[in-house]
Amino acid sequence: MKKLWRDSVAFAPAATNGDHPLVITALRAWRVREPVSSRRYTVIKLEAKGGAFGYGEGGPSVASDIAEAKAAVLGRTASDAEFIRSRLCGSPNVEAAVNNAMLDLLGRSTSVPIYQFLGGPTRYKVRVVAHIEGQDEQQLSSAVRQARNRGFLAFAFPIPSRDAMWRMQAYVDVIRKRIDLLKGVAGPDTDFVLDAGATLTPGDASFIATALERIHLLWLDEPTNVLTYDALSRITDETVMPVGLGRNIHDVTTFQNLLRWGCVDILRPSMGLNSIRQIRRMAAVAETHYVAVGPHHAGGPLGTLAAIHLAASLPNFFAQQVPQPSAERDRAMRAEITSGYQETAKDGFAELINKPGLGVDVNEQALAKYSEEVL
Amino acid sequence: MIRREFLGTLAASGGALKSGMAKSKVQSRAFQIGCGCDLELASATPPGANVFENVGSKLRITNMKVFGITLDEKIARSDRPYVFVKLETNQGIVGWGEATLEGKASAAMACVNDLHDFIVGSDPMQSEHLYQLMYIGSFYRGGPVLGSAISGIDQAIWDIRGKVLGMPVYQLLGGPVDARGVRGYYHAQAWTLEAAKELGDVTRKAGVTALKFQLPTYMEWIETNAKLTRAVKSMETIREGLGPDIDFAVDFHAKPSPSVAAILVREIEPLHLLFAEEVCPPENVRAMQRVAKRSTTPLATGERLIASYGFNELIELGVVDVLQPDIAHVGGITALWKVAALADAAGIRMAPHACEGPIGGVASLHVDAAIPNFLCQEICGAVQSKEINDVWADIMGFPAMRMVDGRYPLPQKPGLGFEIQDAVLKKYPFQGTRPFPPAFHADGSLAAQ
Repeated sequence: MKKLWRDSVAFAPAATNGDHPLVITALRAWRVREPVSSRRYTVIKLEAKGGAFGYGEGGPSVASDIAEAKAAVLGRTASDAEFIRSRLCGSPNVEAAVNNAMLDLLGRSTSVPIYQFLGGPTRYKVRVVAHIEGQDEQQLSSAVRQARNRGFLAFAFPIPSRDAMWRMQAYVDVIRKRIDLLKGVAGPDTDFVLDAGATLTPGDASFIATALERIHLLWLDEPTNVLTYDALSRITDETVMPVGLGRNIHDVTTFQNLLRWGCVDILRPSMGLNSIRQIRRMAAVAETHYVAVGPHHAGGPLGTLAAIHLAASLPNFFAQQVPQPSAERDRAMRAEITSGYQETAKDGFAELINKPGLGVDVNEQALAKYSEEVL
Repeated sequence: MIRREFLGTLAASGGALKSGMAKSKVQSRAFQIGCGCDLELASATPPGANVFENVGSKLRITNMKVFGITLDEKIARSDRPYVFVKLETNQGIVGWGEATLEGKASAAMACVNDLHDFIVGSDPMQSEHLYQLMYIGSFYRGGPVLGSAISGIDQAIWDIRGKVLGMPVYQLLGGPVDARGVRGYYHAQAWTLEAAKELGDVTRKAGVTALKFQLPTYMEWIETNAKLTRAVKSMETIREGLGPDIDFAVDFHAKPSPSVAAILVREIEPLHLLFAEEVCPPENVRAMQRVAKRSTTPLATGERLIASYGFNELIELGVVDVLQPDIAHVGGITALWKVAALADAAGIRMAPHACEGPIGGVASLHVDAAIPNFLCQEICGAVQSKEINDVWADIMGFPAMRMVDGRYPLPQKPGLGFEIQDAVLKKYPFQGTRPFPPAFHADGSLAAQ
């Protein structure tokens, strides 16, 4: 494949000392697909000369991305995270997987959980938001009820789709009705994130946020797909409802620009697109603006675990979104590949796992079973 | 040639840190600039003093003492032993100032001593020149430790100037603007409607016109409905209990983020607060501007900022309505007056912070009395007198920082207007510094405050 960029001069060639125990000798990749939802993500395993290994998850990928990652990472030391972050920036899904696998490897080889390797814990438990799936009020209600029973106290639910003939006020009433319904199901002292899924215009988003701001939703998520200052300031100058965004952003600079102009109240970089180390850089920038980080996550269970380690290393973390697949088979499959890890909560918080690396054993046979392709 | 004294080490016991008498190799050591620039080097001590010989006064500062004063933990918070500075002169006049710094008393005391060479041997009439020497001349500008040390020395210099010139410091500054005294507010809390009503009655009876309250909880950078609602309700309760005729402010104490603060200050607009203080952390001015532009609630900030430079961006961006420098940190009387001048030009009012000892409180009154844009003076006291007020009366010789009919009476004597006996301070020996007490959220992470 023809290279579109040169290797950065900031990085020296791979260390010639090939005998170092942390030199990476093998990369394996599973292109995972959930049986019912067809949700896809990539799991990468790295093995080092000294016998250590680590797993990392990223968003969906193609075979050529994996080949590129292999070329970049073999012969490198597992601690060369900045090299990988720069070298694979063109395919962020794979960069996230490889870099997180490197961290897991380092954690396992030094016998500390990832959050300790990164300077944590800054907290002893991690606030979680259940990602609610459903097409209509009945499905959503049942999903909220189930998540509530699994210990969640905060829920991200989708905004109703809008009939083009509706007046804005009528649309706001429909949204308000959905909020009231789900609040009734969830019970007292629960909180909600309104996920607009980047479907609104800035003007409509501003109208809706202003109308709903006294309800104290946690935040309005991803109101619009226009991520420019001119557009977003329509919303953030007019309403005090916090705005969360950034699930498609995978460079620190874009967040820095939005923060500079006061366009965002909670950073939502996606775990599928960004490595732990990348999000830590975004968080460092947000910290100086007193803005919280709450990563978006629509991938698999290893991504959830990585997010929890990340959260326990950040000072300005607020809440982690955790997928709650509606299909029982999908939930069982996620537990199977992590040897039994449950994506649940206790009184609204997830617990930290004080074991080396990500803290779970990965079941490679199960991974293979649910993969479209093993590379 | 002026004989200089070389500083001894910090004596932890006994309170007073006396200068050691070891002779130094001054001329060979001091003020040689390391960068090799071809500049005129200061050879006299204090630096530059030789050129003022014929134009300055004959008054000289001959000694500088630093006192650490620890009060009983039941009376005062253990994170803030008072740091007092005493300057002695060759004509018997002494000056007092306060350099108290929460959680860092030992560092403030050491920093006062670090400035020794600038001060001992100098002419205290040159207050502005000496301020420049301490702030600009220190190379590393700003910071609360240097700011507090400068504040203590600067107040003592102004005390001496007033005594020499025979008038209170506020007269030197062009005041008083209002001879009846300086309006103040006390700290208060009321978590129920009954408590707020009772507080309102006591406050009215005492003639006090303003109070300040706290938020009920620490805040994360995004907040839940439960905590937002509780905070708004607590402020509504206060207004309902106090009635419409007592002003009240709420100190957010930098607990919320701009995102959370924007929600709160918008929802409390109908309560007509005197001001909401430090609605978010103070380092990022543009972040605070995000709150300001979405609400009509007056915003106040400034107690953690140092020197007039620290306030410039806040004023230029039109972020706040009220500034609250602390005379024990901002750089003393010189710096507090300058901040007031900047604020006045921009239509911003002053409500100076003071949550340390009585010297700083009294020094602040002098500046308050001489600025046209003054709003209200803070002090860490309550409507009903507490044990700490007895200690302050013991130290200062009069009931310092107690209001009469809602105002602090103006000192009448020259200088800052009080005398302190070293022997009184020995009753409260310095016992080291405790850190500012931290607070934590439900998940164990550190809470902003």
